[in-house]
Amino acid sequence: MVSAVDGTALSWDDLGDLEGELTVYSGRTRDQIDPVFDALEEAYPGLTISRDYDDNDVQVNQLIEEGDATPADLMYSQDPGALGALVANELVQPLPADVVDAVPESFRHPDGYWTGVSGRTRAIQYHSERWADLGYDEDDFPTDILEYATDERFQGIISTRPNSGTFRGFIQAMVERKGEDTTREWVSGMVDTQDIQLFSGGGDQATAVNQGGDDDPIVALGNSYYVARILNEDPDAPIRATFTEGDAGCLFSVAGVGVTNQVDDPALVAEFVRHLLAAEGQELMMEANGEYPVVEGVDYVGELPNLEEIEPPTFDLSAFDMELQDAQDLLTEEGMTV
Amino acid sequence: MKSVANYVGALGDPERPDGLGWGTVVLVLASVLVAFLVITPMFWLGWRAATVEPARAYALVFSSQTAWVTANSLLLTAAVTVCSILLGVPLAVLTAQTDIPFPRFWTIVAALPLVIPSYIGAIAFVSMFGSGGEVDTLFGMTIPRIDGLSGSIFIITLYTYPYVFLTTRAALISMDGSLADAARTLNHGPFAAFRRVTFPIIRPGIAAGALLAALYAISDFGTPAFMGADVFTSTIYWEFGGFAAEYAALLALQLIAIVAVILVIEAGIGRDEDAAGGARGGGVIRLGSWKWPAMGFVSAIGLLTLVVPIAVFVNWLLRSEGDPIPSLEFGWALPLDGFSLSLEGTYFELIYNSTHLALLAAFVSCVFALPVAYYSGRTNSLLSRVLERATYIGFAVPGIVIGLAIAFLGIRTLPSLYREGIALLVFAYVVRFLPQAVGTIRSSVLQIDDDTIEAARTLNAGRLETFRRVTLPLITPGVIAGAVLVFLTTMKELPMTLLLRPVGTDTLVTIIWDAQDILAFRYAAVPALFLVLISGLTMLVLLWQEDYEMG
Repeated sequence: MVSAVDGTALSWDDLGDLEGELTVYSGRTRDQIDPVFDALEEAYPGLTISRDYDDNDVQVNQLIEEGDATPADLMYSQDPGALGALVANELVQPLPADVVDAVPESFRHPDGYWTGVSGRTRAIQYHSERWADLGYDEDDFPTDILEYATDERFQGIISTRPNSGTFRGFIQAMVERKGEDTTREWVSGMVDTQDIQLFSGGGDQATAVNQGGDDDPIVALGNSYYVARILNEDPDAPIRATFTEGDAGCLFSVAGVGVTNQVDDPALVAEFVRHLLAAEGQELMMEANGEYPVVEGVDYVGELPNLEEIEPPTFDLSAFDMELQDAQDLLTEEGMTV
Repeated sequence: MKSVANYVGALGDPERPDGLGWGTVVLVLASVLVAFLVITPMFWLGWRAATVEPARAYALVFSSQTAWVTANSLLLTAAVTVCSILLGVPLAVLTAQTDIPFPRFWTIVAALPLVIPSYIGAIAFVSMFGSGGEVDTLFGMTIPRIDGLSGSIFIITLYTYPYVFLTTRAALISMDGSLADAARTLNHGPFAAFRRVTFPIIRPGIAAGALLAALYAISDFGTPAFMGADVFTSTIYWEFGGFAAEYAALLALQLIAIVAVILVIEAGIGRDEDAAGGARGGGVIRLGSWKWPAMGFVSAIGLLTLVVPIAVFVNWLLRSEGDPIPSLEFGWALPLDGFSLSLEGTYFELIYNSTHLALLAAFVSCVFALPVAYYSGRTNSLLSRVLERATYIGFAVPGIVIGLAIAFLGIRTLPSLYREGIALLVFAYVVRFLPQAVGTIRSSVLQIDDDTIEAARTLNAGRLETFRRVTLPLITPGVIAGAVLVFLTTMKELPMTLLLRPVGTDTLVTIIWDAQDILAFRYAAVPALFLVLISGLTMLVLLWQEDYEMG
């Protein structure tokens, strides 16, 4: 097990026992959350975690329809936008102050209605052999996301998945950094000039990049964990990830949790969230998903570049200047929909 | 003066001058109840859509984007329907009316694609035949790129033509074969005999299957999304991504309006040919040396639709060296739980959950379909037609929309059943798949001869006894065919299953989906094999019943 903890992060030994039943609606997939949930069930024989897996957006829409009668105690979401939608619909309640204080303000809701648990940056996926065949070096990628809409090398070979939560977050982040006009120009440049291929599934996109057929994209804007999954299944696979620097293109986003309004056992749910944010929870997330920790006192150990290298800008993930629905409309208006 | 009977339609009760006996009243009430139950989720759509501001509603409904996707959806629907007929009808003739060797085997092969979710087929097809796919890597051969609207038409047709195949086949089998023979003795060639005699008789069967294929095509999301085609369902899903269910609801209502037009048009094509038959079967076309290309044709379809997806998954199973993902891993050993065997954590658990749900859905669908199909098959009134058509609406609405509607309504009306047990999930299946049973049962009701029933009644048989001893045996083939269709489509249903299943319950399809979603295809192989195997066994029921019927 990696060891990257200094004195400030709590350990599971410092926390109370977990006993009882929890129902978690998860927008994350089995491979992403099972390791930490299984470890908790093993550590606490009296704990049962009922897990409901479905698409992240569907889970939020379902919670909105269910209202306060939902069987879910906790929503574990892929991205802050989805958790923000739960706050806007008044479906989640504030977490205890000590939980909220453990996480830097930019990675959670200011009043603690949700908190991030682990983080990841958006990445550029590419097919290393096809990229080399085009005569470019491995490190010959622009470090500014804006150039991906203008650099002629990407014409006809680039793709993205516009219906993902972190892509919408990326658009919100770009609006905040560069303004709405530049963002619109970027989106329409991607659509009209670069003739960007659009995928409706993150896995489908990464599979296509990796497959490397004549019509498949060589470069894709997406999350880096798809690359890690493919390399896990097949270490010889040609897909790789790289990152832009210091802009919305390497947006640091979090997966996180919100607690529903009428949970059976609020103390259990709060203690459960403390376990996710404690050192062991953070380390399991790092190992299973190749994700970055979000609490002070746990350092990243793994194969991804250090965050100091990528320098993702800091955003308040719970309150972008542009609302989620407006970002959604911007994409519709500029023709980037699937 | 028009009486009530003109609108309600009477079943000819001899004790009442207007024919409106108690039997008719009970039947009408039962049909109304069924139609009401299955359209309740649509009330949620109306209620949700009503919260959209008028200006925004106008912009959504009349945008150029909406016009574009509507045109695409109509094109997709029309093309899939036509292609399904072109594929399904010849296959039905081939397996039911020719001397092809092993007809039962080819019938199963031709029907089985129905059980593979079309998006799974699409994914497998591209990874097998696409540029950079398996065939490309091994032999350096590629086929032209399959994507967009034409790719969606191709893939959806491959997995929906069995609707046309099965309904046409049923019509062919119950047709009076001596008619076609008579035509042939009158110096008509086999094609002329088919066109002038067989086709008019089986037309309602073809129309019933074509309608199901059309509605499947217009409501499918997964395949067009994977293929990158902009269709109506894409815009509905896009709005869910902004967590604006009200916009999605409004668009779903618009989709229903489009479908309503299709339903009215179809009503004019497939209507009420009274195809009462005499001796069954007969009319065998001799294939001679044509039987080899014929068998090659069916084999090729089986290869494309069934073998390819399974081969792709199995290939991953053999090749993969990834880390295990425990919750996708299922075993064979039945753990002893005290003194009783527990299925938990084994493939048997998945098989039990899938078949149990599908059997219940098939049973309840047939019970619900019987009054509606009987009423609309025996009378030709405005009310009976409206009620029958109403049951088709659920099939045209994407599963996620029905799922969310039932989540909203279920948790408020029957909270103790919501995600506890499977009652609401089975109800969701019925809402969506009922028309498959209504269509097949109605076709068989149409073949009941009025004279037979009257004869039974004059022999002093009561209404119920007549139904039990005369009508029921006659419509049994339709009931079984309907049950099989609902069973097969329930086995592969995904979005509603994910939304409404008891928390923590997995089925074959949820595991296939989760495995492919995280690119761990190896875990999809065994569940996919079982999906095809169990569905194949179900087809045997259909064939066994045909044997029995032809006696």
